Amino acid sequence: MAVSDTQAVAATGRSGGLAVPSPLVILKKYYSVLLLIIVWEVVARLNLVTPFLLPSVSSILKGVYKATLEADLIRDTALTTYRALLSFCVALVIAVPIGISMARIRVIHWFFDPIVSIGFPTPKISFLPIFILWFGLFDRPKIFLATLACTFPIVTATYLGTMGVDKYLLWSARNMGTSENSLLRKVIFPATLPQVLNGAQIAMPISIIVVIVSEMLMGGGGLGNYIMVAQRFADSVSVFAGLLVISVLGYLLQKILEKVRALVLHWHEETQHESK
Amino acid sequence: MADIVARNVRKIYNPDKRYPVLAIDEVSLEVRENEFVAIVGPSGCGKSTLLYMVAGFLDLTAGEIKVNGKPVEAPGPDRGIVFQHFALFPWKTVLRNVTYGLEEQKIPKAEREKIARKHIDMVKLTGFEHHYPSQLSGGMKQRVAIARTLAFDPEVLLMDEPFGALDAQTRGVMQEELLSIWSKRKKTVLFVTHDVREAVYLADRVVIMTARPGRIKEIVDTKFAGYKSTEEVLESAAFAQKTHQIWKSVREEVDKAGPLDG
Repeated sequence: MAVSDTQAVAATGRSGGLAVPSPLVILKKYYSVLLLIIVWEVVARLNLVTPFLLPSVSSILKGVYKATLEADLIRDTALTTYRALLSFCVALVIAVPIGISMARIRVIHWFFDPIVSIGFPTPKISFLPIFILWFGLFDRPKIFLATLACTFPIVTATYLGTMGVDKYLLWSARNMGTSENSLLRKVIFPATLPQVLNGAQIAMPISIIVVIVSEMLMGGGGLGNYIMVAQRFADSVSVFAGLLVISVLGYLLQKILEKVRALVLHWHEETQHESK
Repeated sequence: MADIVARNVRKIYNPDKRYPVLAIDEVSLEVRENEFVAIVGPSGCGKSTLLYMVAGFLDLTAGEIKVNGKPVEAPGPDRGIVFQHFALFPWKTVLRNVTYGLEEQKIPKAEREKIARKHIDMVKLTGFEHHYPSQLSGGMKQRVAIARTLAFDPEVLLMDEPFGALDAQTRGVMQEELLSIWSKRKKTVLFVTHDVREAVYLADRVVIMTARPGRIKEIVDTKFAGYKSTEEVLESAAFAQKTHQIWKSVREEVDKAGPLDG
């Protein structure tokens, strides 16, 4: 019996593959998006609405192409990406230690728990006027605000993850001679990692949202600013072009994060059981 | 040499709270060197609590426990433990799980790999060194846990319902393998189970505990000498008689514990 279950696992021995799916598979997965684009194009070309209200998809793509040649769309995309990613990374560096120490140290919990409970549901974008006062007009208020907004979900996820570390894992480590001081590095941190990444996956879109909205409200370049300027010039093709780039950017960042998760958690059941 | 001596051990959970629970009361027990002792009793009788106190995970409320003549103060690798739900590190491969304890003992890298591979071979998992626990079946995970604990060579082996999460066939195979490993490398074993047959089959002596608060009700000798094979022991009248006697004694306690504790 023991031998047969041994062989069964050996035969299926998966190693958490990260194979790239074929174009056809991708098309199948997103055919509803394709359908939407086709309907959009048809409606736009039938002249049911003016091109100002709904430009055709083809004209938007042309707009993206033209703006790319003029390099301003590229500059704004780079600026938004830089702000969103930097905020996200700084938030990770700040939030993970706070989350873990909240779960381990009573005083830290006492201090941060009420702050997190009140701060988490507060819309962080409402701090924008104050942040402009404090940090000026260009990059800093946007990055600080997005960092603040990302910190809360990561702190909460890390805290809950650390609290939920299996008691028996800690016990067996201590049983094998692991000291209290090295438990954190050897057991608690790796055991909390799946939850930390959950928090990160929630924080990433928040970072993009906060950066875009700040750019829309206060200028200083970036895709949010690009859309607002285009709207002021009644250039609806460019507004939609900006929107398209924003959604593609958000999608790509989220996909990259999913890949990172699969790589980091290659040992995890979710990766092992993932079907092609 | 390693023996376990417990004297007048008492454990109260939440002593300062509104509803303290007396889990264990006045337990005294001696386990001799290289003896295999099983503890049985109804659910909630504190048998795992007793084991965790020997391991050093839980503090005693009163009394004392000595292992090898030294009072237990903290967990340590002189007392290896195997848990019901394996408690393997899911982010480490089978090999790294087994080398973990050796690494903590500061054993040089080459040597700990050698020791680990020997123990992985002993539990029949050669070829699975680089698999992660999530890729293994329950029985295989428990083999890894046993290999991991035996690898750092504890003097005392504490087992907390180690086969309780396995299906009946796997459990039978694992019991036989544990006995064969133990007969080759004698250790002092304290084995908690709710399976009376398992206790009688594996142990030299079976300790029966009362319903909560857990006290020692009786200790039954269950050494079967002079049999050639496992089958012969299991089919003998003496085995059936002991199993029945202990089962009846545990059953009385289950009834006493009442439906709420069952």
